[in-house]
Amino acid sequence: MMNLAVVLPVLAVLIGIRFAKPSMLGWVTAWWLAAWVVLDFGFAVPVPKTVVKEFMGIISLALAAYVTSDPQRWREVREPTTAFLTERKFLPLLVLVTLAIPAAVAASIYFDMTAPAQAPIFGRTVHPAPPATLTVHEVTHDMQTLDNPYRKLEASDPAAFAVHVEAGRKIYYENCFYCHGDLMQGGGMFAHALNPIPTNFQDSGTIAMLQESFLFWRVSKGGPGLPEEGGPWMSAMPAWENFLTEEEIWEVILFLYDFTEQRPRALHVASGGEGH
Amino acid sequence: MSGRRNWISGGRWALGLSALLLVGSVPVGAQVDLGTDAQRETGKRVYDKYCSQCHGDTGAGDGYAAPFLRPKPRDFTSGKYKIRSTPNGFLPTDDDIRRVIQAGIPYTAMPAFPEFSAVEVTGLIQYLKTFSSDFEDPEAYAPPLAQPAAPPYSADNVASAVEVYEQIGCARCHGVEGRGDGASAPTLVDDWGDPIRAADLSEPWTFRGGATREDIYRSISTGLNGTPMAGFESGLTPEERWKIVDFIYSLADGQTEPGYASLVTATSIEGGLELERGEEMFASAKPALLPVMGQIVQLGRAFHPGVRAVEVRAVYDESDIAFMVSWSDIQANRNGENSPHLQVEELVSTASGSESDEGGFWGEEEATEDGGDFWGEEESGDASEGGGDDFWGDDTGDAVATLDADTAEFSDAIALQFPRTLPTGIRQPYFINGDSQHPVELWYVDLGYPDAPELWEGRGSAALTVTDEAPPYVTATYKDGQWTVIFKRSRTPAQGIGFAEDTFVPLALSVWDGFNEERGSRRGLTAWYPVYVPPLETVSPVGPMVKTAGGVLLAELLLILWVRRRVAKGTDSGDLAGSAT
Ligand code: HEC
Ligand code: HEC
Ligand code: HEC
Repeated sequence: MMNLAVVLPVLAVLIGIRFAKPSMLGWVTAWWLAAWVVLDFGFAVPVPKTVVKEFMGIISLALAAYVTSDPQRWREVREPTTAFLTERKFLPLLVLVTLAIPAAVAASIYFDMTAPAQAPIFGRTVHPAPPATLTVHEVTHDMQTLDNPYRKLEASDPAAFAVHVEAGRKIYYENCFYCHGDLMQGGGMFAHALNPIPTNFQDSGTIAMLQESFLFWRVSKGGPGLPEEGGPWMSAMPAWENFLTEEEIWEVILFLYDFTEQRPRALHVASGGEGH
Repeated sequence: MSGRRNWISGGRWALGLSALLLVGSVPVGAQVDLGTDAQRETGKRVYDKYCSQCHGDTGAGDGYAAPFLRPKPRDFTSGKYKIRSTPNGFLPTDDDIRRVIQAGIPYTAMPAFPEFSAVEVTGLIQYLKTFSSDFEDPEAYAPPLAQPAAPPYSADNVASAVEVYEQIGCARCHGVEGRGDGASAPTLVDDWGDPIRAADLSEPWTFRGGATREDIYRSISTGLNGTPMAGFESGLTPEERWKIVDFIYSLADGQTEPGYASLVTATSIEGGLELERGEEMFASAKPALLPVMGQIVQLGRAFHPGVRAVEVRAVYDESDIAFMVSWSDIQANRNGENSPHLQVEELVSTASGSESDEGGFWGEEEATEDGGDFWGEEESGDASEGGGDDFWGDDTGDAVATLDADTAEFSDAIALQFPRTLPTGIRQPYFINGDSQHPVELWYVDLGYPDAPELWEGRGSAALTVTDEAPPYVTATYKDGQWTVIFKRSRTPAQGIGFAEDTFVPLALSVWDGFNEERGSRRGLTAWYPVYVPPLETVSPVGPMVKTAGGVLLAELLLILWVRRRVAKGTDSGDLAGSAT
């Protein structure tokens, strides 16, 4: 996920500079700086420093190749550089720059070496692709066609539907709210002890963009059923097949949508999960 | 809705109101305001969606969640409210109820509802009143107690408060150090007959009515209706109350937030890690407070664990590492038996209301203590499911509980959990007892037998076994409501987890409160937290700084010289075109 508050201004500045018709040197410098700002600050989940350094190395080489591949561009960069390195009027500035670069390098080494060590962070995939088939209570389902058996009652028999929703409500307040919170915002009484935190179902980025079959998979298999990229070892989400019947799982899913006033993603739109 | 005080049955209301009109002299401060039909209608609509699942359709505190909670959702038919500005035994003001709805009650299931509009909250307040006829009785009202502005905190107060605190009897319930371990604490019940704990005064963030000095003053003055916590408005002068407030304030060093840690950093110490040194060994170690949740992930759940948080400190030298874990406990339970692998039934407090829908819900699985049934449908494995089965372990039958959960007493216990080997990447073992591919070890001590610590290996909750490896050295003390357990082990043991310098070793804890009848699967636990062991010798950054900066400077100078020479020789003059001077 990009951090738009950083990326958009950078784009705007680049476009602005384009109109100012900068020299080739200025243009290349602007691109180099823009790439660095976006890499270092432009992502919601911070990019590790070592990766930033690697990418900046590649970008520097690419810019160098761009400049030297054309004699005209090369001249436009080399002339001002040579002037800066040789002409007397630039001498004070040259001395300053020549000293500033090693100073900056030394400072960066100092901060690297004295910074408190950081525990490795794991950026888990929140919505990994579900399996193709799913076996719950010895019944195997095809995830492509699996759907909530009670959903159709919503139109055909609203009274019966309401009974299932209420059953789901009971299941939720007997089992789920300790973590997901009684308002389904993820703020249950144990949430502060969990990492990753329980999903906020009120957020439009969770159940509203998922199919009910996806939720059925997640609720029945819980954290341990996640693929490696989801961090199965750290999620406290229980595998509810150990506690609930298949019908109860479908009912609690009905209740999640009913309480949050969200709609599940329809079955035909797409198959598979959302990668993030 | 079938409540006997249902406002829809208007007759009663008319009666109540006319009674009100007849009573000519309403006591000072009485303000019987039962709202309008429209307000109560709004309140009922909100209540039925957001409150009834806990507080019950008729306000009797018997909603769906009630059997699993302690404290239970309030029974509004009792008219008893804990958090008030009014004297002990009287009804709360509307603002008191408003505060609870908007701020919630910390460390209970009672959530905060900050999003409700003013109209909705007022509606709720009026609707709650319909559950108890007390609100129709002018005698049940009293004006709020005086709430003076807080004088500045004074450390002098603390010393002189201790005497009052013990004399008036606070220590009888709250314990000398305020950790909720007073002599009568284990016997306390609330007005509904449920066990209740005297607040741990060293954790003010858990206070029902707020953690500021003003809040504490108010709670001491008014007391908490429906609980053994009386009001001390007449028993203590305002000065005495402020002294006690400062004493309580000092117990948590003035903290009103817990400040939970995300990392445990070990501190290197001199003089050898000798257990005889005890707590003194940890004087320079940084405490890390870790929140504890009930084990509600696997079968045999604990919905209201007795321990809310544990404080962890770590020290090390060239050869050994030691951990000190401390936590508040109402009582040292040293009799009884416990073991990490016991798979016990979950503890559900009896529903005060409808017993009818209890029991059947949890199905047959838990009727037996046979491990096989307990872990559900493990056999239905399917590789495409992401290997979930590996997390339960192969239930070989060895791990079947052998203890009769009903008869034996319950002892306190603690376990530190580490991966068996240091994870190479990001992948850690499953945070509850590991998994088949990624085993964990438990440094386990039943505090009934502190001289017999054990080293367990876990490959899933159904695959926990005692190893014959040398367990860590352990000392355990219980004093003034606090367990302090010290573990010591070699940093480079023959088998199991080592603690190399400059590494992060994942740590998770399990803690059992015997008083709360915790045992085996029914316990408190934490997520994984990294333990960092800094290098013993820190490398000075000056050397690398000078070397690298010098190198860069040299390269720059060479470049400048080279360019200048080329220009001076005129080699470049062609390219420099007109700009050459
Ligand atoms: C012990 C705490 C806990 C309990 C109890 C719990 N959950 Fe979860 N749940 C989590 C956590 C933590 C996550 C986020 C990590 C993950 O995706 O596994 C999660 C994730 C989920 C997701 C995935 C949402 C998404 O956007 O992918 C669903 C659905 C879910 N829970 C439903 C439930 C239901 C239904 C119940 C009750 C039957 C329940 N949970 C009980 C902790 C819990
Ligand atoms: C998830 C369960 C839950 C829900 C939902 C819930 N409550 Fe509570 N409530 C509790 C519990 C538990 C207590 C008792 C806390 C205690 O005694 O320390 C409580 C206590 C209260 C009290 C008593 C405060 C006092 O001073 O004693 C009020 C008032 C209250 N709730 C109002 C509400 C209202 C209004 C709603 C709905 C908007 C609501 N509650 C929803 C669990 C819940
Ligand atoms: C008979 C036992 C008993 C005595 C004596 C007693 N308390 Fe309490 N106190 C309790 C209980 C029980 C609670 C917890 C109530 C609850 O959780 O609802 C409590 C809660 C508290 C709280 C927390 C209030 C809150 O907002 O949660 C404070 C502060 C407190 N007591 C201070 C005192 C002081 C000061 C004294 C002496 C002047 C005292 N108590 C005497 C039993 C007692």
